[in-house]
Amino acid sequence: MPDFAPPPPPPTRLRDEVAAAFAGRSPLVGALCGAGLVLALAAVGHADMAVAGVAAGALALFGGLLSRGRPALVHAPGAERGEPAARPAPADPFEFALESLPDPVLIVTGGEVDDLASRRIGFANAAARELLRIGREGGLLVSALRRPEVLEAVDEALFGRVETEVAFESGGAQPRWQRLRARPLPGPPPTALVVLHDETELRRNERTRADFLANASHELRTPLASLSGFIETLRGHARDDPAARERFLGIMAVQADRMARLIDDLLSLSRIELNEHVPPSGRVDLALAVADVLDALAPQVAESGAKVEVKAPPPGQAVIAGERDQVVQVAQNLVDNALKYSPPGGLVTVEVLTDLDREAAAAARPGPRALAEGGGRMSLAAPDWGDAERYALLRVSDQGPGIDREHLPRLAERFYRVEGQKSGARSGTGLGLAIVKHVVNRHRGGLTVESAPGRGAAFSVYFPAAPARKLETVRELAPDPRLETKLS
Amino acid sequence: MTEHTLRFFGEELNQLKAEVARMGGLAEAQVADAVEAVSRRDVPLAQAVIERDVKLDALQRDIERKVMRLIALRQPVAHDLRRAVAAMKLTWSLERVGDLAKNIAKRTLVVSEAEPITPLTRSIERMGRLVEVRLKDALDAYTAGDLDHAMNVWANDEEVDEHYNSLFRELLTYMMSDPRMIGACAHLLFIGKNLERIGDHATLIAEMLHYELKGEVSGERPKWSGVDGGVSAAEG
Repeated sequence: MPDFAPPPPPPTRLRDEVAAAFAGRSPLVGALCGAGLVLALAAVGHADMAVAGVAAGALALFGGLLSRGRPALVHAPGAERGEPAARPAPADPFEFALESLPDPVLIVTGGEVDDLASRRIGFANAAARELLRIGREGGLLVSALRRPEVLEAVDEALFGRVETEVAFESGGAQPRWQRLRARPLPGPPPTALVVLHDETELRRNERTRADFLANASHELRTPLASLSGFIETLRGHARDDPAARERFLGIMAVQADRMARLIDDLLSLSRIELNEHVPPSGRVDLALAVADVLDALAPQVAESGAKVEVKAPPPGQAVIAGERDQVVQVAQNLVDNALKYSPPGGLVTVEVLTDLDREAAAAARPGPRALAEGGGRMSLAAPDWGDAERYALLRVSDQGPGIDREHLPRLAERFYRVEGQKSGARSGTGLGLAIVKHVVNRHRGGLTVESAPGRGAAFSVYFPAAPARKLETVRELAPDPRLETKLS
Repeated sequence: MTEHTLRFFGEELNQLKAEVARMGGLAEAQVADAVEAVSRRDVPLAQAVIERDVKLDALQRDIERKVMRLIALRQPVAHDLRRAVAAMKLTWSLERVGDLAKNIAKRTLVVSEAEPITPLTRSIERMGRLVEVRLKDALDAYTAGDLDHAMNVWANDEEVDEHYNSLFRELLTYMMSDPRMIGACAHLLFIGKNLERIGDHATLIAEMLHYELKGEVSGERPKWSGVDGGVSAAEG
């Protein structure tokens, strides 16, 4: 980019350099604005011009800071958890703005080319610390990001002094697609600016659309074929047979109903999948949600002839970070399943437990001893390590036929049905548990199934307790969440 | 980490850890790409995985040499010695992981020639994702020195086995129903087995961190034996 390559930089020009590095993401805009900071940031892709303006100022400030010495910007995540008074107040609004940039930004410094331990993170903004789970010192680059293509790109910027760009997928329970851009900053020591941009949504959109079409067309064809078959029969030889007509119309109604349910489930599944990487922001009382679900399912309970036993703490104790509609859907699917497979007179137990740590929640220990011997247990979804401290758990167990071990890993797969299960008036769509799994995953929770053939099955879901693990700097300005708990 | 009187020595140990982390990143990428290649029938990607394995071997030899040098010159004791030895053992594991990934890639070349068997490759993909997450967790724990995290990886190995058993049954059914698929299915079976072994190596990495920090080998791995001795909602 010769058009805004700066002259050998005195320290104060670093701000322009940083801004130009951002502008480099879009040569056209970059050329237009030169060192114009506001537009430079707009090129990063934030539509919000106000944010862009502030952040550009912050970059200018950061340039100044860096020239004064090592930036003192990196706050320990621990400090944010503590009392706000103890946290050093931001020196000025620009520092605060840089901290609040939505995209993770890192400044990496290097030493010798062959000394891997010399590449250190000198600065990481709040988004970067959250994403990479790094603390105050930033530490070694390779401890935070060890994908080979990422290290290569950063090395290119540090030592090859060229701008690089690479897309990579981060692993974990909610894999994310990131696009990383590294650009050299003036040294010595060799310094590079690293900006990450989340592209998960884009990639997920593509994939979800393809999956949705494939699934929908395949699964909808069966009831549709049955409907058109009956329509043909009704037009043909069953035209003057009132008894047959009644019977066929009944079957057709069931099939149409099934199609409607299928479409509902498919739509909500693809909605959930699209948002799976966006953590929910609301607060839900798990015990109250379960109570609501049981009220709503009263007709099904009566119809199935099963008894339902509820063990839940009083309201206000099992508050989780979640989206109410989705949590209700989870509880509903689980209870509905339990009722479906319960023998008449069987007992369905619905338990809500609070204040478990991750291990206890994943172990889903409490439950009927009947499942102890010969049973299987499988975690179908689990949160990433360190996502949350405490969890609340919902456990629904039945005394139905149970599930063979071999089916357990595949239970949450869409349209997977255990054999011999497809018949029946209220046959499922095969999407219930898939929906549960995706909701749980979005909530950074977990799903565990235990089963003993012939004796019953138990499904446990656990969600992070509210308030969330870490409050973002900006959110600390909001009223104390503890007050809200008391009110609700 | 505690401060060292010999600054160079502390730096050397840090450098060692950084090198191991980089090697871990490469091994992770190899596994991820191999699984991706199976599920998408991506032959060029599989070939890339096979070629990249050389790099992993070179890194392994390099780190091993550095560890030997460090032990010979600095004569570390106690925790420092364990750090050095754990780093070396880790590279052996990671090198094996790379070999297994390479083997998966090689089999992918053959499987991709046969008719696609979507449900099976889906099962492989699911199992692969699980193994990737375990490997990532183990390496995250190692780079952060987080013993709790490592023990969590260590204790939850059955899940992979469970997936493998399920895949095994699934494959048997396919082979019995259509003998023409036996060739491709056999390769998929080995791919599953390789993934299962990569999962074992993740466990091993967690064990090595335990050894490095505690100086002792972790005991018998807990096996789930049903829900017993639990507390009910009222008690808990």
